[in-house]
Amino acid sequence: MTALQQADLLGRRAVRESLRTPEALAPTLFIPVFFLVVNFGQAGEIFPSDSTPFLYGQTYAAFQLPSSLLLAASFGSAALYLVEDIEGGYFDKLRAAPVSRGALVLGRLLAEGLKTAVLTVALIIIALPFGVTIASGPAGFVLLLVLTSLWGIVFTGFMQLIALKTRSAAATNSGGLVFFPLLFLTPNFVPRDLLTRPMEIAATLNPVTYVMEALRSLILQDLQWDVLGRGFGVVAAFGALMLFLNVRMVRRYD
Amino acid sequence: MNALAIEAEGLVKQYRGRSGTVDAVRGVDLNVSAGEVFGFLGPNGAGKSTTVRMLTTLLSITSGTARVAGIDVAADPDAVRRRIGVALQEAGLDHRQTGRELIVLQARLFGSSAAEASARAQELLELVELTEDADRRVKGYSGGMKRRLDLASALVHRPEVLFLDEPTTGLDPASRLSVWDEVRRINQRGTTVFLTTQYLEEADQLCDRLAIIDGGRIVRAGTPSSLKKELRERLRLPGDAPDPTLDEVFLDATGRTRERVAGDVQEVTA
Ligand SMILES: Nc1ncnc2c1ncn2[C@@H]1O[C@H](COP(=O)(O)OP(=O)(O)OP(=O)(O)O)[C@@H](O)[C@H]1O
Ligand SMILES: [Mg+2]
Repeated sequence: MTALQQADLLGRRAVRESLRTPEALAPTLFIPVFFLVVNFGQAGEIFPSDSTPFLYGQTYAAFQLPSSLLLAASFGSAALYLVEDIEGGYFDKLRAAPVSRGALVLGRLLAEGLKTAVLTVALIIIALPFGVTIASGPAGFVLLLVLTSLWGIVFTGFMQLIALKTRSAAATNSGGLVFFPLLFLTPNFVPRDLLTRPMEIAATLNPVTYVMEALRSLILQDLQWDVLGRGFGVVAAFGALMLFLNVRMVRRYD
Repeated sequence: MNALAIEAEGLVKQYRGRSGTVDAVRGVDLNVSAGEVFGFLGPNGAGKSTTVRMLTTLLSITSGTARVAGIDVAADPDAVRRRIGVALQEAGLDHRQTGRELIVLQARLFGSSAAEASARAQELLELVELTEDADRRVKGYSGGMKRRLDLASALVHRPEVLFLDEPTTGLDPASRLSVWDEVRRINQRGTTVFLTTQYLEEADQLCDRLAIIDGGRIVRAGTPSSLKKELRERLRLPGDAPDPTLDEVFLDATGRTRERVAGDVQEVTA
C-alpha cells in the first residue's frame, strides 16, 4: 500500500465525515455569498462596467468573486475534525498503524481540496446572475477550480499545524483568525496600483495577493501566464512548506 | 518461536511541560515471552499507560531501549506497528463512521484489499458480537460496544503482540467475561498479550505472569502463584491459613496495606 493509496483511503473517510455533518458546511457557502452580495451591492454603482477599465467589461461582482472564493477556501474546518480525532483518541489509533505520516496529513487535506472545488463551482453558479462570466474559457475554469482548491489545502494545512500543536478546538479556531487579516490585506476592492501607498506595500508583501490576482485574471481576462505563474508559485511554495512542517510535527508528536 | 515478544531495558519517560517535568516511568525492565498473557498492574498514575504508549511507538522514549517482536521501537517504528495491535485506555474511535466502516478502513490501512478487508470486518464483528449494530454510527454505541469495537479493530492484521490498556474498565460483569474469553482465544492462536488492568481478579484469571508498577518502577514481577507464595513466606503465615490473594500482594507491593487503607478511612470519618 503506497502512501498515496493511504491518503486516498483517509481522504474518503474525511469526505464521509463532511457529508455527515452538513451543518458545518452551510456557513462555508453562506458567508462568501453574503460578502459577494454585500460588496457588490455597496460598490457596484461606483464601478460601472462600461467606464471601469479594470473590470474588462464585466460587472463589479466579477471583480469581487475571487475574495469570496478565497474566503470559502479559508475556513479550515478539517483542522477542527483533526482536533476531534486527537481528543477522541482516533488519531492515536491511526498513529499506531503503519500509515505513512505524509498520508496521515494529506488525507484530510485532499478531502478539503475536493470540498473547496465543489464550493467553488457552487459560488460561480451563484455569481452567474450577477453578470459574471469566466473570460478565460473552459481551461481557465479548470485552473480556477484547481487554484482555489490548492489554496484551501494550503490554508487548512496551516490550521492543522495549530491543531497538532495546541490539540484544542478553541485554540485552533482563534488561531485561524490570525490568518484572516491576510485575506483583507489584499487588493480586494480595487487593483493593487490604485491602493494607497501603505496598503500597496502591505498587499505586495502578502502572498495571498498573488493568488487573488491569479484568480481574478482567470475571471476577467484571457490566460495571463505571468499572473498565473505567480499565483500557482505561491501556492506551490507554501504548500511544500506546510506539508514539510505538518509531517515533521506528526513525527515528533508525543 | 521462543523469542521475547517484548523486551525493555531501563525504560524512562519524563514528561516535560510548562508546569515542570513529571517522571512518569523511572527505569522499567520487562521481558515478555512470545505466546504469554502478561499482566501489568499498578495504582492510578503508576505509569502503565505511559509504558504502553512507549512500547506502541506513540510516545518518545526518554531513555532506555525497547524491542517489540524483536524490533527496536525507536529505530524502526513502522516495522513494530505492522506487528502490533493496540487498544488504548480511551477507546480511539471515529464517531461519524459505522463500526463496519471503521474496521474496513483499519484493515485497508494495514494493506488488505477491499474484498479482504470487508471479509475480515465481518469475521471480527462476529467475533465481538457486533454484527447487528455494524452499520450504525459509532456515536450511538454503548461504552461496552465501543470497547469491543476497539478490540476488534486492533485485530485486523492478526498482530503478533496485542497491547490492551485496561480493556475491561467500565464494562458490566457479563461483558468483562466475554472480553476475557476473547483474550484467551486470541492468545490460544499464538498472539502475545500485554494487558494492563486495575482488576486483580482479571490478572489472576488471565495472566501467565505479571508485573506490578508503582511510582514508575516495577515493584514485583512473577507468576500470580509465585507472588502469593512469596508473600506467604515473608509474612510467615501458618500452614493452615488461606493463601494470600493477589489483592494482598498488590497492597503489599504498593505499600498500601489493608490496615493502612482502613486506617486512612477511619481518619477521614473521624
Ligand atoms: N501527557 C502528560 N503530561 C504530563 N504528565 C503526564 C502525561 N500523561 C501522564 N502523565 C503523568 O504520568 C504519570 C503516569 O501516568 P499514566 O497515565 O501512565 O498512569 P497509569 O498507570 O496509566 O494510570 P491510570 O491507572 O490512572 O490509567 C502520572 O503521574 C500522570 O500524571
Ligand atoms: Mg492508564
